[in-house]
Amino acid sequence: MTQSRAAEGYVLGTVPFLLLVAGWAVLPHVLQYPQYMLPPIGVVLDFARESIADGSLLLNVLASLARLAIGFVIGMALAVPLGLAIALNRHIADLFRPVLSFLQAIAGIAWVPLTIIWFGIGNGSVIFVIANTIFFASLYNTVVGVQSIPVPLYRAVRSHGGRGFALLTNLILPGALVQILLGIRTSMAYGWRALVASEMIAGTSGLGYMTMEAVQWQRTEVIILGMIIIGLLWVIMDRTIFTPIERRTVGRWGLLQR
Amino acid sequence: MSTAAIAIPTRAARRPWPWARAAKGAIGVLLLLVAWQVSVPLVGLNSYFYPAPSDVVAAFADLIRKGILPVYLADSLLRYLAGLTAGAVLGISLGVLIGLHRRVSLALSPLLRFMFAIVEVAWIPIFVVWFGYGLKTIILALVYVVFFPVLYNTLLGVRTAPQLLVNAVRSLGASRLQVLRLVILPAALPGIITGLRVGAGFAFRGLVFAEIIAAKTGIGYLIFEGTQTQQTARTIVGMIVMGLLWLGMDQFYLRPLERATVQRWGLLVEAEQRT
Repeated sequence: MTQSRAAEGYVLGTVPFLLLVAGWAVLPHVLQYPQYMLPPIGVVLDFARESIADGSLLLNVLASLARLAIGFVIGMALAVPLGLAIALNRHIADLFRPVLSFLQAIAGIAWVPLTIIWFGIGNGSVIFVIANTIFFASLYNTVVGVQSIPVPLYRAVRSHGGRGFALLTNLILPGALVQILLGIRTSMAYGWRALVASEMIAGTSGLGYMTMEAVQWQRTEVIILGMIIIGLLWVIMDRTIFTPIERRTVGRWGLLQR
Repeated sequence: MSTAAIAIPTRAARRPWPWARAAKGAIGVLLLLVAWQVSVPLVGLNSYFYPAPSDVVAAFADLIRKGILPVYLADSLLRYLAGLTAGAVLGISLGVLIGLHRRVSLALSPLLRFMFAIVEVAWIPIFVVWFGYGLKTIILALVYVVFFPVLYNTLLGVRTAPQLLVNAVRSLGASRLQVLRLVILPAALPGIITGLRVGAGFAFRGLVFAEIIAAKTGIGYLIFEGTQTQQTARTIVGMIVMGLLWLGMDQFYLRPLERATVQRWGLLVEAEQRT
């Protein structure tokens, strides 16, 4: 029963993809589209083969992923301590909240023009924008994470004499970790967009740079390949990294939230 | 519970007056501005690299006097509202359709998931090739970014519609359309609103990016143009206006909307329990 349902899902699910490919194969001929508007599938596949063979595609993918990773690490490293401080100290929270919620509203791509002036075109600008984006998304999650620790747990630890550093390592960090880990997926969704967008404006390599650069030369096959790779990479990252993190976190610590 | 509350005062009891928090927040903002102003002579770069707050105020007054800022602001808001509305209408309709028909859902889910993974930002280059730099490209990008969160949250809402209520309404002789209007849509409403709020957040950044790439007016263009024409203070005016705009919308529009629907939803749950 369930097997036949799954099979039905696979069959039905592939139909729209087939229709899309079929439409792509036929329509440009029927409608007499110029090739720069929508190149035939063959041209895109040829370019894919070419760029894989000469290694340029892999270089662009690796450049993008490396920037994402560096930006993520910087953003998280700054966000978690500040988030803990805000969640644990009311004075710090009151002092910083308006400034931070304002900066959060402009986090990400709006900084690109300024960073181009400050760091020039290239890695510096792109990494700043990603770190900035990840920082504000993770900051929020850290604060919510600490605040979602049940008050009875505080009292339990306190009544057993836990305070200061022990309270931090035994309760607050593990307690906040749930929300921090659960928030990674959303942070990365913002970070991924910021990466592609900032590479388009301020990049010298990477997937975003590759697709935007191709607009000038009207090489639409490069744009389409870039889009497919951007989609595939996100699906792969989501399946192999973010979703498992989410599942394991909920599986292991889900009870803590209740 | 009450003895515990006596033993350890709850956080709510220790909360100071709201004005005290607001005052501290204002001090935080003031500190930032003072630090910025003081750091300008210390950094010692010219205002192209590092404009002072006073430069930004001057640029703001200039943009108002020349009538540029109001026009840009209106353009951005119109684009945003148009994209948001179109994306939401599409997302809600398809969400209801998919939510109510299992086969449509099975057929479309994989394609939609893949399209969702190709973020709107990645579509902008090909939109530019197809539609040129301009309004069409910007609106399409916004529709695209709003569509998916609204779709998925509508779907979630439709699927949580209590079957008991559907059966009850149907047994009282309701048509399919009435079931949709009386049960499914109210049940899906909180999901729809959540989706709208998520979509609105992504779309706001999407708008600024699309305007940087494809517009000749608007807040995003102001932010970009400022640095291109060596008027960095204008860029910062653009960023500040953008931030205030989002905070205003979130505070006065999106959050009240969410609160209102949650209350409505609460009523629905009560009704369900009473049956």
